[in-house]
Order: sequence, then C-alpha cells, then structure tokens
Amino acid sequence: MRLAATIARYTLLEAVRTRLPLLVVSAILLLVSASLFAQQLAIAEGTRFQIGLYAAGARLGAVFIAGLYVLASMAREFDDKGLDVMLALDLPRAHYLLGKLAGYLAIGMLLAAAAALPLAFAAPWSAALQWAISLGLELSVVIAFALFCIVSLGHLTVAASLMAGFYLLGRSLAAVRLMSANPIAGGDTLAHQVMHWTAEGLALLMPAFDEWTRTAWVVDAPADWTHIAVLAGHGALYVMLLAAAAMFDFYRKDF
Amino acid sequence: MRERGVTAVPRPVIALLAATLVAQITWQAARPAPVARAEALGSPYPTAVTRVLTGDEVIAAAQLAALYLQAFDNQPGVSVPFRDLDYVRVEQWLTSMLELDPRGQYPLMMASQLYAQVPVAAKQRAMLDFVHRRFLEDPDRRWRWLAHAVITARHRLHDLKLALRYAEDIAHHARGAPGWARQIRIFILEDLGERESASILLGGLLAEGEVTDPQEIRFLTERLEALKAAEISSSSTAK
Repeated sequence: MRLAATIARYTLLEAVRTRLPLLVVSAILLLVSASLFAQQLAIAEGTRFQIGLYAAGARLGAVFIAGLYVLASMAREFDDKGLDVMLALDLPRAHYLLGKLAGYLAIGMLLAAAAALPLAFAAPWSAALQWAISLGLELSVVIAFALFCIVSLGHLTVAASLMAGFYLLGRSLAAVRLMSANPIAGGDTLAHQVMHWTAEGLALLMPAFDEWTRTAWVVDAPADWTHIAVLAGHGALYVMLLAAAAMFDFYRKDF
Repeated sequence: MRERGVTAVPRPVIALLAATLVAQITWQAARPAPVARAEALGSPYPTAVTRVLTGDEVIAAAQLAALYLQAFDNQPGVSVPFRDLDYVRVEQWLTSMLELDPRGQYPLMMASQLYAQVPVAAKQRAMLDFVHRRFLEDPDRRWRWLAHAVITARHRLHDLKLALRYAEDIAHHARGAPGWARQIRIFILEDLGERESASILLGGLLAEGEVTDPQEIRFLTERLEALKAAEISSSSTAK
C-alpha cells in the first residue's frame, strides 16, 4: 500500500503542476464577482441573492472541474504510456487504481473546501461547513464515477458525456420519479409503465443528488447533522461501489 | 483494447463489487419514496435568469417548468394538495412559463382545467382572473381557455355576471374564435333571465351572416324561436 500512497501523492503533485489550483481560484473569483453583481442588482434580499447564486454556481463549477480533471488526467496517463510503465512494475492493478483514486479524492476535498471558503464569510459557519462536507462527498462520487468511466470506456468524449448524464440524472431523478409515479393522464399505457419502472430501477442504482449540497442550507436554515452523516455513509458506500466496478474493468483490460 | 475474461479479476474485487452493489440497492430501497409537498413550492427563477441558465432554450425551459409544477400536485388524493398549494406561487410559475413560451397553451390549460377546479372559491377566482388577463394579451390563440373559465364561473362559482363578462370578452376580442365560443354569452344572458337581450344578439348574429354552418344556423334559429316563445308567454302571464 506504500506504493499506492506514493501514487496518490504524485497525483496531487500533478494537479499542482497542471495549474489546477489557478483554475479553481479563477473560477471562484469569477463566481464571487458574479454573485456580487447580482447582489447589487437585487432590490431586496441582496445577501440571499448573492449567497444563493454563488452556492449554486460553485457546486456546478466544482463538479465540472473535478470530473473533467479526472477524465483528462487519466486519458493523458493512457496516451503517454505512463500506465504501461507502472504496470510493468511489481504493482497490483488495484493498488495503482486505489492510489489514483485516493489522490483524486484528496483533490476533490481541497476543491470543496476552497469553494466553501467564500460562504464561510457570508453564511453561518455551521451551514457553510455542512455545505462543504456535502460538496466534498458529492465530488467524491463524481470523481469515482469519472474514473470508472475512463477506465471502462477509454474514450474521453464518451466518458465525459456519460459523466454529465449521470450527474444531471442524479440531480433530477426525484422529480422524474414524482412525475412518473402520478401521471395526470395515460398512466395505464405500456409506455408509461415502462418509463415508471425504469425510473424506479435507476433510483435503486443512483445517488439522489437533489438531497446533497442544498443551497437552502446556506440561505435559509442549516441541515440536520444526522442528514449529513447519512450522506457521508451513502457517499462512502457509493465510492466503494464505483471503485470496485472500476477495478473489475481495469483487471479485464489486456494492455 | 482487448479484454481478458472475468477469471482475470481477483476474487476479492468481485466480492467487493457484489457486496457494494447489494448494499447500494438495499440502501436505496430502504429510503422512502420522494413525496411532493404542496407547501414546499418555491418561486420560479426570473425569466432572464432562466434564459441564461438554459442557454436561451426558452421553450424547453417552459415545458420543464410545467412538468416540475405538475409534479407538486399530481399525487394521490389530488384535491388536498391543490387546496394546500400557494396560489400566488402557482401564478408566478404559470406567468413565468408564458413569458418563456408565449405560444404555449399548457400553462393556461393547467390554470383553467387543473388549478381552477379546486373547491376553494377564492383560488378558483384567482385562476379564472389569471386566464382572463392572459387571454387579453393574445385573444385569438387563448380564447378556448377563457371559454373554460366561462363554464367554471357559470357552473362551479354560480357567478353568472362573471361568466357573462368573460363570454362578452371572447365575443369582442377573439375574432378568430369559432361561432359557438362567441355565442356563449347568449346562453349566459338567457340564464340571467335577459331573454330580450339574448334574442336580439342571436337575431343579430343570424342576420349578419356571421354563422355559416347550416347545422349551426338551424340550432340557433330553433333557439331564437324558443326564446321568442318564452318572451311571449312571460309577457302574457304578466298581463
């Protein structure tokens, strides 16, 4: 496992050297500026506008940056034949993948902390902390899914599309389930029944992101800490599931 | 890239995958199904913000907003959530949808057919008023929803004056509406006991040649004769 830790450390170092921190700081500054602009435009509830827009934008931006970073980093690893060199060493594939995952997860946590920093000045600290923890967990799932996609599919475009679809579906699946469960008309048709059971089936396999990193926590009232603990449990389980799926596919690749 | 068989995967990895998959499905199955809460309906984003967020895909945004709003109340026991809904918010959503997609009929259908059916008179009136105001912006395209509002005002609210006002607006503003819609006011006048006004209007319609369908002309002529007969009998009773 010492080699896995080394791989994780070098993954972090790679992020620093590819100017990821600069990109993150620029994105945060841009979002802070945009939210300040919105605050100036608002006639009432200016601070609420500012915090709400920043939180929603930072969440989406962080997911975008983290997911794409993992995909691009792993694609480069495949293209530069760095992976081939690693596999030629006396290193189990699982240790390599877990090392990479650990490095990416650390990047995700740092990204969540950086994104939550402006909120700590504008919202109650406990709410900002809950938001940061939840974003860290959300990014962990996105990162693990991105790793699984790129390892399984190999193609950047396909993996990025799948990752975007996964995230958007995770955010909207509860609304889709509500709509499909109680249609106003045509509920008995075969097409509707198929759609309904598909949505219910997907709900078993996917995390319900609509309950994670809610803007309402920082603009209205903080979440219950029990809820954060449940998210932590589910986040850990889902990352393990995705890591296992990625390892399964990784072991089957014939390099 | 070539792939090796499943036998190349170490057993602990397969076991971990199976265990976590079962745990994930069990976890999600144990969670309660999402429940729509009427009181939780938030305000829609301002139209300009929605345009930015959706990359100016206004029609798709309006359609998604309609489905989202619908999801808040289309649950079992539908009358209870309708009654509990904050109708100020509902109207904000419907307004936002129409601003995004002015040619869309769905928001007016929801207002007249769904939200105006709630058994609370004030909420019914709010929705009818909304339909009326929006009808005046584009009468030729939106008259059918005001026609529904006439029926709701007549049969549910039992407010004949309101029904007459809406019916007259259809006749005056919606030149593109078919004859039956523009003639509703005649029947409302009849219901109000104003048979003389109704027969004058009906006679005018037939005389001006506004109605061209033979079946419709026959139906309206019979109606006019019935009105005249009722007038004669009521005046002879009065004597």
